[in-house]
Amino acid sequence: MRRVLSIWLPQLPLDLRYRKDDPRVAECFAIISEIKNAWRLTHLSEGAMTAGLSAGLSLPDARAICPDLMTEPSDPVREAALLRALWRWADSLSPWIALDAPDGLFLDITGCAHLFGGEQAMAAHTRERLTDMQITSRIGIADTKGAAWALARFGQSDIKIAGAGKTVAALAPLPLEALRLPQKLSSDMRRTGLKRVGQLMEIKRAELARRFGLSLTQSLSSCLGHSPDPVSPKAADPIYAARMTLPDPIGLQADLLGVLERLSISVCKRLAGDAKGARRYYLTVRCVDTGDHVLHIGFARPTHEQRAVLQQFAKPLDELKIEFGADWFRLEAAHVEPIQPFQISLDQHKQAEDDTSKIISTLGNRLGFDRVRQFMPMQSHLPEREFIHVEAMDRREPVSWTAAPRKRPVRLFKRPERLVTLEAGRPPKRFQWRQSVYATQEAKGPERLTAEWWHSDFGSVRDYWQVQTEDGPRLWLMTYPGTTEPDWFIAGRFA
Amino acid sequence: MSVVEIINRRDVGTLASFTLQAREELCLSEPVRLAKGRVHEAMGDSADMFAVLTASRLSGPIIWIGLAREIGSLAPTALQDFINPARIILTEGVSRSEVLWAAEQALRATCAQCVVIELSSGPNLRESRRLQIAAEEGGGIGIILIHGRAHTSACETRWQCEASNAGENAWVWSLTKNRKGELGAWRVHWANSETSGGAYEAGVIHLAAATAA
Repeated sequence: MRRVLSIWLPQLPLDLRYRKDDPRVAECFAIISEIKNAWRLTHLSEGAMTAGLSAGLSLPDARAICPDLMTEPSDPVREAALLRALWRWADSLSPWIALDAPDGLFLDITGCAHLFGGEQAMAAHTRERLTDMQITSRIGIADTKGAAWALARFGQSDIKIAGAGKTVAALAPLPLEALRLPQKLSSDMRRTGLKRVGQLMEIKRAELARRFGLSLTQSLSSCLGHSPDPVSPKAADPIYAARMTLPDPIGLQADLLGVLERLSISVCKRLAGDAKGARRYYLTVRCVDTGDHVLHIGFARPTHEQRAVLQQFAKPLDELKIEFGADWFRLEAAHVEPIQPFQISLDQHKQAEDDTSKIISTLGNRLGFDRVRQFMPMQSHLPEREFIHVEAMDRREPVSWTAAPRKRPVRLFKRPERLVTLEAGRPPKRFQWRQSVYATQEAKGPERLTAEWWHSDFGSVRDYWQVQTEDGPRLWLMTYPGTTEPDWFIAGRFA
Repeated sequence: MSVVEIINRRDVGTLASFTLQAREELCLSEPVRLAKGRVHEAMGDSADMFAVLTASRLSGPIIWIGLAREIGSLAPTALQDFINPARIILTEGVSRSEVLWAAEQALRATCAQCVVIELSSGPNLRESRRLQIAAEEGGGIGIILIHGRAHTSACETRWQCEASNAGENAWVWSLTKNRKGELGAWRVHWANSETSGGAYEAGVIHLAAATAA
């Protein structure tokens, strides 16, 4: 039988401030966050509790009750970082740990508890260690993840343990919310008079499923261990970054490149060791007077080549204006992907491909990656929707083009250009376009294309004509049929 | 045109000795040859097709550089008769100087055998010489599509390309400037090669001498 320990950190955002010696936490203080367009209190300090506030209260109401209330919006990024740090710390308790965002951890402690002298001792040890770190916690231990979760949050004491095989008895007195049901479902059940988990056990499963849906029975059976719900440890993505702090600020280009070289060696070496490459690199330069400047470069394919990183950063670093110098640097690799190592000298095809991605990177870093594109075929019969542009950097697999069913011009004008009809006809016998006069020698058409009605801006039906002009280009003329005095447009130019 | 000795670019030590040597050439179809490691100019209504047909004889990516208007109007559906549209890398510059910068970078890259540059008016001596030097380094062919007027430039050849009224896939190319050879005019006809299954193989270019364009 598996044993699962669930740690709940009810005051994580407050603990975060407390650990930073924020004096407000000792007073009337609350963390707020925007829920459904209203600022609501989510975590309250001791002082705020005694003032009569409660979680879930809207900020104006809370201010009315307690005018001295100090608040701060929640900071999910920092809270997640703290939880992540705790997740790494929990490695000392069990090797099998899962994050339970935003405020909890799951530990599979099967076969671990005896190392701490039993489950009770282990839970007490865990709480003690967390308290040392100034973090409030509640712990539940049970056979399943769901049950441990419920005991940590809804158990009467800070440490609640359901012995092996005693899950049903431990869950019975808990309220329905302990099953981690959607808000609407649990309020629906409350209206029918169901308040405790124990009441559900007396009802047949099939009836519950028929009345409240399968999600209820599923969460019930996973809580009771009838269906598997294992703790799946999520491996942390390693952070590939390096930073450097200097005793004195530097500002010369050569010095900056020297720092960047050292940072990039460290980052690229680690990436290469893991057979990974990054598509983006961020360099933070902290100037003593103007603060942080973040420079970034991109690559068409993931790379860990230190020379390429240096080369691409040369230009943004050159453009950076440093007056009084910078003394803190951090290089971070982002969009990290695994890369396949290959032998450079023997594989010529690979070499050419590599050169191509190098030129894409060079062009993209200067012009912007949205300006270096490739064609991608689309399913449509309208000439302007037959293809799209995609960023060359994003395209990884080769695409195949099916043969065009009809002849299309090489130049297709996104917005058809209106022409001046000099001699009427269908299509016009003589017309003027872009300050030149053309005479129709031969015309093929019409090719009628109906609009795509399933698009919101589907436009109207169009007629296209292929026109061979006398001693001139082959043009693609377009008109909207059904009008008495049709306007003619040039939609494109054939080769 | 005499038979040229084909040399490997890497064997050449310096630029000076390179320019004195015979060059690698690309044969579009006898007798039209385009020098590699050089920049060529194409003008006229069918200049696009001159670039596309040249690219169909070369392998590797085609870097097509221009302003947003020109890049946006290029349609791959028509191009797939001649080349695989997936080969094309579109590069959009916001100004002439950006287009020229991108062109230089692309010409320098050894992987890009064919670089197409669209300019509203022809490059001047200074601009074309820079492109020329970049092309010599990379060894590919640069084709400048000039939409307006051409100027005196250091480019190797200048072609005036017009559609022919002889039918589809027929053009008239006239060579109006050639630094190392004779001028001439040709009626060009493209015949699709007999391939199937989406394999892109260069079709045949038929040339017939024309008296004048």
